[in-house]
Amino acid sequence: MAKTKTADTICLTLYQRSLLPKIVRLATAGVASKAGFNLDEADDLQTALEELLRLHLAEDNPPGGNLCIRYSFFSDRLEIITRSIPRNFLDGANKIDRYARFILEKVADRVEESPIPDGEFEVKIVKNLPVHG
Amino acid sequence: MPRRANNTLNREAIQSLFRTYQKTRDPGIKNVLVDAHLDLAHSLARRFLNRGEPLDDLVQVASMGLLKAIDRFDPDRNVQFTTYAVPTIVGELKRYFRDRVSTIRLPRGLRERTHALNNAVQKFSQQHGRSPNVAEIAREMSISEEEVIEGLESSESVSVASLNTSSGEESDLSLLDIIGGEDKALQILDERLSLAGAMSFLSQREQSLLYLRFVEGLSQTEIAGRLRISQMHVSRLLRRTLQSLRQNLTTNKAT
Repeated sequence: MAKTKTADTICLTLYQRSLLPKIVRLATAGVASKAGFNLDEADDLQTALEELLRLHLAEDNPPGGNLCIRYSFFSDRLEIITRSIPRNFLDGANKIDRYARFILEKVADRVEESPIPDGEFEVKIVKNLPVHG
Repeated sequence: MPRRANNTLNREAIQSLFRTYQKTRDPGIKNVLVDAHLDLAHSLARRFLNRGEPLDDLVQVASMGLLKAIDRFDPDRNVQFTTYAVPTIVGELKRYFRDRVSTIRLPRGLRERTHALNNAVQKFSQQHGRSPNVAEIAREMSISEEEVIEGLESSESVSVASLNTSSGEESDLSLLDIIGGEDKALQILDERLSLAGAMSFLSQREQSLLYLRFVEGLSQTEIAGRLRISQMHVSRLLRRTLQSLRQNLTTNKAT
């Protein structure tokens, strides 16, 4: 992928609570709209983020633990990096991880996972901007 | 519940049966009265179609209302049974939607906006052959993009229709009939997800929806066109199906 300058970045730092998926869905809808995605594509991004959040919330992390989501706008794509996912789910060690990986890979153009301190992971979701006629 | 033949009892016979039933509470007479008015219950149930609930469920609810009306009707009052029964049955149907369908009661303005949004998205998709973006819908409806997003998200609080829902006002055709191929969907999805049978907890209709979206790779708008429902409806159905699958996987954590 050709390197392109980041146009803008939005960061969300959220406490993990059961309402997080709702908040993140709303924020992602707004971000996707600003990026130029249509409703189908915006829904894809919302689905991807929701699945990641569910993984995060399912791990019984201590209350108050932060989840950080960074939306980066590029001319040809939107990148969303989510920290801190509690395990390397892309390995597909169990059914839930395989399910999450399947969904994410279907709705995003690229999904990458990198280790961060404290044994956690950050997940980058890339969705290319389509050229609408 | 199967539809019955039209009422063949005249008004006097009906009133006479009600008087006898009022005195005796004879289940046999009650059955006759139920049979005589099932068409009424069916007709009222159909008025509530396209609100996201299967016709069979609505008929069941309307039939419960009919039973209540029969038990409570006083034949000595100078009023026809149907005059008494209609508001009772409609009340039962409305209560059903109030209690079991809407998870959150939205303000009227937001409900109307959500409905208008749904129509605008559908109209745009038909005209342009693709899903609109938020800005396009905002322009179409002369509202702000924030209001569009608010309406889209609040639509999640409106009833989530099942795939058993009739696809049109005049049709009792299940969406499953339109999708078809559910056996193939189950096999392929289970293989793709390597979930070793987890898919079997979903209904065949839910499996078919996942198949269309994640195996055939159809967009929500394309699925909406195939199923003759709105993109927003497909979005809600997909979300609920994914929630069901995730919930099942979480409950059964085995590898």
